[in-house]
Amino acid sequence: MKTFKTGGIHPPEQKLTSGKAVEVMPHPQELAVPMSQHLGKPAKSVVKVGDEVKKGQRIGAADGFISANVHAPTSGKIKAVKQHPHPGGQYSMTVFITPDGKDEWLEGLNTPECDWKKLSKEEILKRITDSGIVGMGGAGFPSGVKLSPPKDKTIDTIILNGAECEPFLTADHRVMVEEPEAIIKGLEIITSLFQGKVSAYIGIESNKPDAVAALKKQADSKGIGIVVLETKYPQGAEKQLINAITGRTVNEGELPFDKGCLVHNIATAIAIYEAVCKNKPLIERVVTISGMEIHTARNIRILVGTKFSEIAAFCGSMTEKTNQVITGGPMMGKAQFSLDVPVTKTTSGILFINNRGLEKSGEKTCIRCSRCISACPQNLQPWLLANTAQLRDFETIELYGMANCTECGSCSYVCPSKRELVHWIKYAKTLASKRKQRQSA
Amino acid sequence: MYSESFIPAVASLGSLAFVLGIIILFVSKKFFVAEDPTVSMINALLPGVNCGACGYPSCSQFAEELVRTRNPSMTCPVGGGELAEKLGTALGITMAEPKPVTCVVLCQGHNGNARESAEYVGIRDCWAAAQAFAGTKQCRFACTGLGSCIAFCDFNAMRIENGLVVIDKELCTGCGACVPACPYGVLTMQEKKTERYFIACSSHDRGAETRKACDAGCTACQKCVRECPEQAIVIDNFLASIIQEKCTSCGKCIEVCPTKVNCILLERDMETVKSKKVP
Repeated sequence: MKTFKTGGIHPPEQKLTSGKAVEVMPHPQELAVPMSQHLGKPAKSVVKVGDEVKKGQRIGAADGFISANVHAPTSGKIKAVKQHPHPGGQYSMTVFITPDGKDEWLEGLNTPECDWKKLSKEEILKRITDSGIVGMGGAGFPSGVKLSPPKDKTIDTIILNGAECEPFLTADHRVMVEEPEAIIKGLEIITSLFQGKVSAYIGIESNKPDAVAALKKQADSKGIGIVVLETKYPQGAEKQLINAITGRTVNEGELPFDKGCLVHNIATAIAIYEAVCKNKPLIERVVTISGMEIHTARNIRILVGTKFSEIAAFCGSMTEKTNQVITGGPMMGKAQFSLDVPVTKTTSGILFINNRGLEKSGEKTCIRCSRCISACPQNLQPWLLANTAQLRDFETIELYGMANCTECGSCSYVCPSKRELVHWIKYAKTLASKRKQRQSA
Repeated sequence: MYSESFIPAVASLGSLAFVLGIIILFVSKKFFVAEDPTVSMINALLPGVNCGACGYPSCSQFAEELVRTRNPSMTCPVGGGELAEKLGTALGITMAEPKPVTCVVLCQGHNGNARESAEYVGIRDCWAAAQAFAGTKQCRFACTGLGSCIAFCDFNAMRIENGLVVIDKELCTGCGACVPACPYGVLTMQEKKTERYFIACSSHDRGAETRKACDAGCTACQKCVRECPEQAIVIDNFLASIIQEKCTSCGKCIEVCPTKVNCILLERDMETVKSKKVP
């Protein structure tokens, strides 16, 4: 079984919902669609309060090269455009839509399936960009930009990321079991954009044998390699996945295309297929609702902009013991301070958990046990980075490879002294970039 | 027995110290740098805390620069007028007197006023808390009360009381080192006056939202704007601000301010504060 070379941990898998088919959640009373659902500059809202919008109509226009369009998830009336909490941890300009219940598509969208092979390369890229497709694994990098790498780079390997190494999350798993055809078509579309010999792989962790079987059936005739990976965190991180499947190492300061690789998420592949073949913008996604403190843990297909409070109600409400609601997985996800935050294009899961007694109460000093060093998949020394961050020495910390940290959280997980290693590194990253901005200004 | 063990040690170390002493003496004579005695004299007058308020990294650099340029507009905000006079006599020039400034907190959101949104369990630092939404209070413009600014204060003038930073106006010298330490821009420097009015709130949220989050927030109700005889109050982006040049400290704005649940939104600063509570 393939795996990445250095570090990694194996937290309890807790895949409570892996056997549960994807259900569709009824439309909520109100949708809050953030203009910033991707990496880069937030989209500019192009609607006014009181406007009627159709389903799939563009409500936010990409503002700049690294940015993405945002579309109305259903038809209705614009209620407000204002700052609102965003699950990413900041406030973002958000368009509020009151659905009219008709759920009418804008004309020309959601068409019957067409043959993508007849479309030109430019047309495919245009459809992907116009539909506001972004990486749905978590980072939200605009796919249109990712699919047009600089001219001097040759891409020879396309990898679809179905590792889903975070505990609890099963959204990608269910999608792989239920929609293997769409995934393969999406992958074929991505592959067709590059000249020369391009090999395509789908990486799946070994704890999802049904997904492997479903995809193998479709992929074998098309020459797509299904790679079964060891169940180990962070197998699904971009750099680790490339290392596991191709053996190449993406060094500091390099991007995957420097090594001829391109990694896309499973959900992104489906979104690309739907955008190209059906002209359907990215307005919904599959989300895992899980955790010990939610009544019915399930996988649901949900409109972007649905508030967490409505999702909790749909899943039979959370128990009183809940003390943390996390978006994404428990390793890299963010705890929320309000249930008013909406689901975005990058929300892969919502976890309702009770970690009383487990929280990192009180950092102790480092005992030099070096467990964080063995756990780090990026070959860093997390204790050293955290110590330097505590001293606010933002020049030295760069020399120790701070930029290389992917914030996967393996070090914090293994630390017996309960040190907030990742939090310190994140803190240093924020302040170091602030300092640089101030210096250049 | 003892004499055998310590005599060689004393002898060897003593001779080593003697040789090194000779070398030091030689070096100090040979490489002697003549220092301007005025610089050391000026340096002795300065507060010596190296706070950086003057724009120079340390007091001695300020002293060197002052002696070199004899620029009367160079000021030390910490020393104030008294020091300016001393420096003037020492250098034989008339130094400009710095305007006395003090740090003020543009937030009244202590735990009694501001409502908490969630419990924060991460590292105790304002900048770290700022990554996970804007701290623990519902208001995203509020002081988090985690106290990152305190480490920047060289004069012990800051402390956290009831979830809000409090500035000791006796100790604050107005150096301004704390201002960039706040991620929310809650701290600002204001000119010292006996009676001074400012809006102790930073919230740019709409009135209703501010009210939900805090009892002492500016709801941009316009009442003070209408009441002010000098038209010295303007509201920009749902937050009032006082144009200090126009303000005559008449106190009419405080009387009409509606958010007065045991707080003074427009704080009357300096000496007069505590005796006059707003009804």
